[in-house]
This record gives sequence, C-alpha cells and structure tokens, in this order.
Amino acid sequence: MTAHWPTADLDEVRRLHVLAAGIPGAHVTERLLDAPFTEVWALLADIEGSFGLIEPDMRHIRVIRTDGERLEARAWSRFGMRARFDGVLRPGWCWLQSRFLLIGAAAAAEPGGGTRVALTGGVRVPGRAAIVPLGVRREAERALDRLAALVAPREDQRER
Amino acid sequence: MSGDDARLVRAAQNGDTLAMNELLDRLTPYVGRICGPIALPNGDDATQEALVAIFRALRTLKEPAALYGWVRRIAVREAIRVAHRDSRSTPAELTEVPAVGDPQLAADIRDVLTRLSPEHRAVLTLRDVEGLDEHAAAELLGIPTGTIKSRLHRARDSFRKAWTS
Repeated sequence: MTAHWPTADLDEVRRLHVLAAGIPGAHVTERLLDAPFTEVWALLADIEGSFGLIEPDMRHIRVIRTDGERLEARAWSRFGMRARFDGVLRPGWCWLQSRFLLIGAAAAAEPGGGTRVALTGGVRVPGRAAIVPLGVRREAERALDRLAALVAPREDQRER
Repeated sequence: MSGDDARLVRAAQNGDTLAMNELLDRLTPYVGRICGPIALPNGDDATQEALVAIFRALRTLKEPAALYGWVRRIAVREAIRVAHRDSRSTPAELTEVPAVGDPQLAADIRDVLTRLSPEHRAVLTLRDVEGLDEHAAAELLGIPTGTIKSRLHRARDSFRKAWTS
C-alpha cells in the first residue's frame, strides 16, 4: 500500500558523503565539471587506464577479477608498493579498499548541467574504517585537477 | 532482519568499508521510504542526514538484530528535524491524522501529507507505511499512547472538513 507514497533517494555524490561520515578522518572533496556525466564517468571508471592518471598514488592498476559490480585489483604505487584492492564499481560509484588504502569516487549529473564529482579516501588505519587525516584534501584536489584536465577542455569550470 | 544483515553490521562495525557500502545499499531505500513522506520536498536531505547519523553511530549499535528499529528511530527523528528546518514549510491545516481506510488517503496521499505537521506525518507514516501499532508509534515518537490514539481516531471529521472546505 505504499506505491503512491512519496519516497526519497540519494544520488551517488550524497551517498559518498554518507559513507565518508562513517569513516573518521575521511574528507569529501567535490567539484562541478562542465562536462556530461558519461564523459566524466568514463574517465573514472577506466580502472586500468585513466583512473591511474587521476589518483596520484596509483601508478598502475590491473583488474584481476570481476563479479557483477564487485572487482578485485592489484595496484602499484609510485613508490613501488603493491596493494590488493577489493571494491565495487558501477555507474557513478567506485569504492576500493585495501588493507592500507581507501579510495572512493562518485559522480552524478547536475540538474542544471554538468557533472558533480566527489572524491574521498587516503591512507587507511590498517584494517579499520578510519583514515589518517594527513594531506587528504590536498591529494583529492590534485586528483580533481587531473580529472578536470582530462575532461574536454572548457573555460567555465566552477568550484563549490 | 536476516542473518545476512547481522553479519553485515558486524563486519561494518569491525572496519570493513565494503560491508558498510553494502549496508548502505540495503538501508537507503528503507530510510527513503520513511523520510520521503515526513520531510516531503526535503526528503533527499533528510535521507542523507539520517544515514549520516546512522553511519556515524553504527559502532554504538550493540545488537545487530535491532538494526531496523534503530534505523527507523533515527530516520523519523531526522526527517521531522529537517522538515521543521525548512523555511518553506507551511502551517498544518489538519490537526489530526486521517483514519485507516479513509478514501482521501488513497486518492491523494501527497496532498494529505502537505496539510499535516511533520509530527502528524510521522504518525501516519509509522502506521500506514511501517505498520506500527499505536503503542509502538507512541514509544518511537516519545509521546503518550493516548496522544497517538487521539491523533488517529478523532481524525475523520476534521480531516474531511478540511478536505471539503
């Protein structure tokens, strides 16, 4: 009997704020890009390609296994360290977890045009849902700078 | 509440962020069904704020079997709070909740909801969406059972009067 009752929902960017709220030390950095969702998300969802260009710690990533939305990947950082990630990848949403790192990315089409992108993550307190809060905002800003540079160049990128 | 839900809660409490992610997938529609009718145009904000409160406090949930009751309590509290915060909200025209089976409820539930205060919307949502009895709704809202009963049972006349005016 609830078919006609109003319901509410979360887009993926709001969703990232919720998940980050449950992770002490996590900070969500957002930016509005003047590009369509499909274009922006194609860059973030290319785990073995452009994703490694956007996330500064991930020099090379290889997807080992996929099962629906779930994936397992192996990554090598710029410092040569290797990590095994388990994660979820679906349109507008990417969440990757290793013992020492958490990476979250979300994107949603903005009603007025463009795409809102949000990033979170950083060095994980090993095995815990917590992030060492050092440099996380700066790294996220840099990652968004890289993403913005990969998106077809436009003049009017706006920051929130 | 399934054993799978309890396993997810335990894993999330122990720091598995993928379990948190899956728990969020499961809880979002449930919280949205509560916050939507209570917070109306601010339903998405209320859903986000309720889930933020839920995930911040997840470690304090001692008994995973109580998950949905605990979530429901937070969702109702946040939805009422967000609804009151909205400067666009209009004073309630209806002072009572329409009775079960009132044909107007089936005709246009959104119109009925916009005429009620957030607290009355909460009573209606708990009764008609969540299927709670008067005692459980009163306990959840922190008001006497008698108040719930009066809101529910003395409703029909005033509701119809407002509807037809």
